[in-house]
Amino acid sequence: MNKLFQKIYFDPYIFFSIFLLSMLGLFFLFSASNADTSIVSKQFFYVFVGFIIMILASQPDPDIFRRMSGLFLIFSLLLLSITYLFGPEINGAQRWVRIGPLSFQSSELLKLAVPVFLANFLFDKKLPIQRKEIIISLIIICCCFFIVFRQPDLGTALIIACSGLFVLFLSGLSWSFMGGSFILLIISSPFIWNILLQPFQRQRIATFFNPESDPFGASWNIIQSKVAIGSGGLLGKGFGQGSQTQLNFLPETETDFIFSVIGEEFGFLGVLLLLSIYLFLLLRCFYLALSARDRFCRLVIGGLSLTFAANLIINLCMVVGLLPVVGMPLPFISKGGSSLVSLFLAFGIIVSMGTHKKFLPQ
Amino acid sequence: MIFEERQIEKNNFSSRATLLFGSIILGLIAVLIKVFSLQISGYSDYQLAALKNKNYAVPVQSLRGEIFDRNGKVLVKNQPTFDLITRPNLISDIDSFLDEIEPVIFLSHTDISRYKKLQKEKAFVNKELVLKKDLSDEEIARFNVRSFNFQNAFIAKRYRRITDYPEIFSHVLGYTSRTDDDYESMPEIPKSHWKDAELSYAHGLIKGRIGLEEIYDDYLSGKHGQRVYEINARGQLVQPLSFIEPEKGSDLFTNLDIEAHKSAAKYLGNRKGAVVAIDLESGGINVLYSSPAYSINKLSNGMSDTEFQDLINDLDKPFFNRALQGRYPPASTIKPAIGMYGLSNNIVNWDFEIKDPGFFTLPETGRVFRDWLKGGHGKVDMHKAFLVSSNTYFFSLAYQADIQELSNHLSSLGFGQKVCLDCFGEDQAFVPTPEWKYSMMNAGWVKGDTVNLGVGQGYLVATPMQLANYASLLATKGKYFEPSLVTFGNQKKSIKIWQDDRFDDSDWSKMHEALLGVIESDHGTARSIRGLKEFQVAGKSGTAELVSLDSKEAYQEVRASESLRDHSIIIVFGPMPNPRYAVSVIIENGESGGAIAGPVAIEVLKSLIDE
Repeated sequence: MNKLFQKIYFDPYIFFSIFLLSMLGLFFLFSASNADTSIVSKQFFYVFVGFIIMILASQPDPDIFRRMSGLFLIFSLLLLSITYLFGPEINGAQRWVRIGPLSFQSSELLKLAVPVFLANFLFDKKLPIQRKEIIISLIIICCCFFIVFRQPDLGTALIIACSGLFVLFLSGLSWSFMGGSFILLIISSPFIWNILLQPFQRQRIATFFNPESDPFGASWNIIQSKVAIGSGGLLGKGFGQGSQTQLNFLPETETDFIFSVIGEEFGFLGVLLLLSIYLFLLLRCFYLALSARDRFCRLVIGGLSLTFAANLIINLCMVVGLLPVVGMPLPFISKGGSSLVSLFLAFGIIVSMGTHKKFLPQ
Repeated sequence: MIFEERQIEKNNFSSRATLLFGSIILGLIAVLIKVFSLQISGYSDYQLAALKNKNYAVPVQSLRGEIFDRNGKVLVKNQPTFDLITRPNLISDIDSFLDEIEPVIFLSHTDISRYKKLQKEKAFVNKELVLKKDLSDEEIARFNVRSFNFQNAFIAKRYRRITDYPEIFSHVLGYTSRTDDDYESMPEIPKSHWKDAELSYAHGLIKGRIGLEEIYDDYLSGKHGQRVYEINARGQLVQPLSFIEPEKGSDLFTNLDIEAHKSAAKYLGNRKGAVVAIDLESGGINVLYSSPAYSINKLSNGMSDTEFQDLINDLDKPFFNRALQGRYPPASTIKPAIGMYGLSNNIVNWDFEIKDPGFFTLPETGRVFRDWLKGGHGKVDMHKAFLVSSNTYFFSLAYQADIQELSNHLSSLGFGQKVCLDCFGEDQAFVPTPEWKYSMMNAGWVKGDTVNLGVGQGYLVATPMQLANYASLLATKGKYFEPSLVTFGNQKKSIKIWQDDRFDDSDWSKMHEALLGVIESDHGTARSIRGLKEFQVAGKSGTAELVSLDSKEAYQEVRASESLRDHSIIIVFGPMPNPRYAVSVIIENGESGGAIAGPVAIEVLKSLIDE
């Protein structure tokens, strides 16, 4: 057994914190779905598949990922365009591609493909990176963002944009350039608000700033979420005892608002435990990024783990009322096979980047 | 890349990664602070909000107290009846359910259409729904035999507010009517929850209307209980959580007397009028009867629209409580009061005599006021003036009165004010004053007005309640109790005293002697009722003229129209010499006071004394 562990590429810290998160996830999902075992067993299947994918993805040398990154991006975009043309419409959005009995949200792959591709594009460029390279990177990011945004899926589109920008930033984007684009963003914000955002997205943002204006309409979700979390207190109401969850006052308990279920049923201590595990996982990724063997690995680990962190923070801020409601699952906990499998794949890549050592200088 | 360049790149990466990971940690801390403020600082608010979300409290109706007469016999009770109740959410096919149950329970078209209209709404939130009210014994038996066929229907007890004497206590008891909510009594339950109240009465949430039911509503209604259900986000009942039992209202023990009320109703018959009787030992009102009446059972438990419209449109105005609201000229029954005024103001004394030619001429204008007896009563002193009810005597007495003082005197006897402590809708009737006449009629008070007042005609009006109160004052020689329908056990009412230094005990004795003579002597105007009883009774009768006429002949023409005929009035108290009860009777358009109203008063007195 020990020999096997020495042969395969494996990070025990990442493995066990993800194991803990996904087991807790199954446990919370059981309560959040009003004890629906079919949902939980389906999720269990995805977790199982996820672990296999993660371990498999950890094995190849980072150079293989680097060389495949272009193909990976093209494949992801292709899958997305298939969805765009043929995918079924669910809740007014085309996001799914069917492969036999399984359906897959194709935009999930882009979250991985964009940072890996950009890392490959930028890892051998001189510091500071040149305007030409920045512009090529930005064009790739913008294209991917708009394709997903038009689905429409603002949450995932933002995450994809973040994943690209993180890599760009980590690879040494100049501060003056960032300052300039920030000013540009501010100037163009009215244009974004009026032309790019869908009416329901505009309404979500409006209710975020004034939730009491419409307690039974659009802000119902966020009010009920706050009530659920707040009424959990220090210790929570107990497993399966949350009235907000069990009596369906809380919406989307299995997906976006599962954190509110945890807050209601397990209280502040439960939340503290959960956030500690996430923090531990992120710190481990940070360590791996710093100690990775080369620039490409550093950029990939940084890009992927920060994308994961952004996903996490956006979900948490949304359910506690610090951000407007955007559809964004809580990683490793929320129901949903696509995001789970792509998360495992991402961490598989991170482990590969972090554990393959090359002692000879290039 | 050369080594230094790589080192620069690595340092650059480290600092940038630290910056990003640091911001992520700051984000996590911000979330944790927010969660802390929700769960720890805001805990009590949010806990309350969560409870408000899920807890749905409905009132559980309390039973009203019952009402008893002075002998402890029940006047109004809660009578159990049985309703068929269903749980529409568990019935998959309403039509076949109705088809199945129709042979067992008779259902009218309105029953079925009402049920079908409501069942969807109730089924959604899984609440109960009444299918049929007030099942017959036969229906109950049939249902019980087949109840296994109807898992989702059951029979439940629901009460009705019932009296065994619906027509003779209508005005005094009042009735109950449906109300949408009883929010004031239980503000902790939101108004919108009252439609889901757990009912004890078949008629729904009820509230006392008029009479004792309204006056003592708080006392009778008790305290509603409360059942708290857990509900989900769609408003569906999930399970009951807690239950507070309702408290039955207090029973009300009144001074009313069933037998005396029966006599009043029986002897008044279908004539319009009113009877009030007061127990002099306590001021308790034994009889408060107004005719015509209506069925309070029907009003309390559902009356058809046409029946109700008929009552409203009835020309005899059955809803009008004549005993408390009827304004009648007291006519000759006012004479003892005028006599008391004359004696205490030294205008006359018991020995003072006049010569009665059968009319009184007002010196100022020469206007003639006629006595009821053509030719007059000859020599009349006060005693004889009461016995023969000499108008001329009281015309001349009133002529010498000061109208302001006389008004005050009448008010001191309870006229022109509410006298009953707990009567619903009592009218204060009216004692005229010069200021009133000036402001209302834009005319000055003239002597003739005072003269008319002397025989209880003109502007003065009184209710039967006031007349009974006045009779009880006369009977107790001024030491009487305020009348009330309910006397609470240990709470002794304080005695009311009417006194005047110039009207002493011997005056009272002579007054009683004279009023006794009105009925018991050979010359008394009400001597016709002398033989109806075995005890002695004092009193004064009166005939209230509705049209002012100068001669008997003219009245014969007026008589043709019944509604213009005189009202007959009597006040009596007895048994003498130590009276226990005072009674007033008014019969509208009954003519001649003593002979018509007298027998009713005597029969009521007899039932009261016999017990």
